[in-house]
Parts: sequence; C-alpha cells; structure tokens
Amino acid sequence: MLEHGRVSAPGHSGAEDGEVPGGDVRLAASRARDSGLHRVSRLTWRAGVASLACSAVIGVALAHQSDASAGTTHPQHSTPGQIVIPAKPPQPSGGSGQVNSGAS
Amino acid sequence: MTIADVGRDTFDVFGTTAVLLVSATEHAGPAVAGAGATARAGAGTRAVTAGIAARARAIADRELAAVDLACSRFRPDSELTALNDAADGRPRPVSPIFADLLAAALRAARLTGGDVDPTCGRALVGLGYDRDFAEVRAAGDAPPRLTGPVGPVPGWQRVHLDLAGRRAWLDRGVQIDLGATAKAWAADRCAGKIAAQLGVGVLISLGGDIAVGGQAPAGGWRVRVTDDHAAPPDAPGQTVTISSGGLATSSTTVRAWKVGGRPVHHIIDPATGEPVRSCWRTVSVAAGSCVDANTASTAAIIRGPAAIDWLHDIGLPARLVRHDGTVETTAGWPRDDGPGAAA
Repeated sequence: MLEHGRVSAPGHSGAEDGEVPGGDVRLAASRARDSGLHRVSRLTWRAGVASLACSAVIGVALAHQSDASAGTTHPQHSTPGQIVIPAKPPQPSGGSGQVNSGAS
Repeated sequence: MTIADVGRDTFDVFGTTAVLLVSATEHAGPAVAGAGATARAGAGTRAVTAGIAARARAIADRELAAVDLACSRFRPDSELTALNDAADGRPRPVSPIFADLLAAALRAARLTGGDVDPTCGRALVGLGYDRDFAEVRAAGDAPPRLTGPVGPVPGWQRVHLDLAGRRAWLDRGVQIDLGATAKAWAADRCAGKIAAQLGVGVLISLGGDIAVGGQAPAGGWRVRVTDDHAAPPDAPGQTVTISSGGLATSSTTVRAWKVGGRPVHHIIDPATGEPVRSCWRTVSVAAGSCVDANTASTAAIIRGPAAIDWLHDIGLPARLVRHDGTVETTAGWPRDDGPGAAA
C-alpha cells in the first residue's frame, strides 16, 4: 500500500532521463512502478474529491429546487410528485352518514 | 366511564366545525396506557372509552393550535402574517410546521399546474375576506377593499422555501393564503398522530375535509357527501364509506358573501384573481390523503369541464355536481342511485 508521503514525486527520483543509476535495472523498474502507482493514486484521489464536490453541488441544487420534498415530514400517503389515489374508492352506502363532507 | 364502539366529539376550530370519531377495533397499534383507558366489549373489539376519546381530542387540540399559530391569515402573531407583512424578498426563519404547511401548498400548486395557488392572498383581501369568515358574513354587503381589476395572482413560483434551512420568503408584494391546503393538511396530521399514538381507528373532519387513520370500523366510515358540511343528515347528497386516506369537498355555494352588491366566493381563479365561475357548484374527491383530495377538488372547480378528463386520467374517484344538480362521477366513485341521492 502506498503512503503518499514516502513516494517521491515524478521528476524528483534522483535519476536523469535515460540513465539508470548504478545500472540497477530492478531498482529502476521498482521506481518506475512506484511512480506509476503514485500517479494512479493521485488521479484516484483527485477523482474522489471531484466526485464529492459534484455530489455536494447537485445535492444543494436539488434541495433548493425541491420545495416540497426533501426533509419534509409529509402528511400520510403524500408523495411529492403526484396526487395519490385512494387504496379503495368510496363504496356505496345507504342511510345517513356519521359525518358530512361538504364545503365550509 | 363511557363506553361506545365509536367515540364522537364535536368542536369548533378554524371558524368551522370539527368532528372527531374514534374507533378502537384495531389491535395492531401500541397499547394505550392509563387507568380506565380501555375496556373489552367483545371478541376482537376494544370499545372506545372516555379516556381514549379525551386523549384523541387532546392530540387534535395540540396539533390544530400549532397549525393555527403557524398559518392563520387572521392572527397578527402567526408566521404567515409575519411573512406576508414582510414580503420583501428576504429570507425569514420559519418553524418546521410552517415549512411543512408551505411545502404542502407549493406541492399542490405544482401538481395542479398552478390552479391551486397560494398567492391569492391579495385577491381575497380585495374581496373583503381579510378577517374570520363569520365576521365577513356578518358584515353583509360591503364595498370592495380594492378598486379596479385585481388581475392574475402573482404565482406560486414567487414563493420561496428553503426546507432544509427552514427559511421562507416572498417576492415583493406577494401575499399568500394557505386556506386551500392547510385545513386538509391539519386533518391528515391529526388522523396520523392519533392513530399512531393511541392505536385506534380515527376519522377527523375539519369543516368537511376528512382524513382517516388506523383501522376503520367494519364496513368503513360512513360519510354523507353534500354541498355544506353543516347540512342535516338527510340533506341532498350521497352516503358513501371510506376506509383510508381522505375525502374532501369544495364548493362555491357555502363560503360565499357579497361585495359591492356582487356575489362572490372564496375559490380564486389564479388566471383572473377573481372568484372562479365554474360549471361545478360542488366537487368531492377521495384520495390517498385529505390534502390530496382537497387539492384535487379545488382544482376541479377551477378547471371546470376539463376536470372530468383530468380526474379520470389521474384515477381519482370524484363526484362533481353541476349548478342544476346533475352529477358526474369518475374513477370508481359509486353512482348516485339511493334514496335522497339528488344533489
């Protein structure tokens, strides 16, 4: 596992271009591999930061737009996007009601 | 100790009559604590006691008081009054309940394409409806408060709500009224809380805006659908049963008065800022909640003939009554074929 503080940045490996210090091919290969991994790690880190920033921006935008949904404790059965139909339509009944539904 | 299958309580709130029915036939809810709260009336049935009824009423009173303080247009200390008085485009902190009430109003506006619009406050004031309706009615024929055409309402897009931050603001000059949704929202809230906290079945009617919660009695709650919520039990209309959700009725015939010799009512057409001239005198709708039912019934009055196709397309059961008393129904609403069915 790479630790960022311990991997040299590219161009600061102490090696000149095309030169292999001490002719140690294995060391050069190891450094090249570490350098590549470092780049990948940095890219991954930056991509992660960028995605977090995008998520935050999108979240703020949606929260601002959603005047009726996010964070609201809605009345029972209410959903933000549609008028909710009843589980069952009213059924016919004879006689008087226990209560009236009329305008007030 | 009073024991009944259904407890009934009637009281005044929001300038109208509320009816609270409680049925204790449910066993799934939490146990009700307190001495003498319940008694067994037979296998599978827990009778309603005075204790349960009192608890239900206390919950309703608490919730309704909170709603009134949040959004009464006639209270100088309400949050709505403060918001209307400011109307300067600058955010103001609001309570959670006011935020939810405003969210419900904006949702209704959005779902109806702006037909149910909360920015009709100035139009209502212009018609003299700037105080409790009993006072408006008692004042008789009064001169209009505003002269000249009111014009279209500003539009719900000029009302702003930051729900997460609990802030709201109105563009300059915008005045809102939450009457189209607040009472129904309050009914939903009361029914939900009473059912959840007491483990009972409940129906609450706030001036005819009805919400039910918990387990309904066998056969459902019987509701007489009519023009006026205060009509006698044998008033022209239709009796149906409901077991869940809500049922609401909007009408141009009840909350009506005169201004400058002109008959007016409280359902404002946002396109004109005037009381709507609808082909329907009364529309009743059943929905998954009372606020949805009231949103649809109000929108149907405003939409006029186009409401039939709209309600069909949504699948909302509705009963629409023309001025001559003829009735149309949609989406499974039962036909008017019983005695006393004439509208």
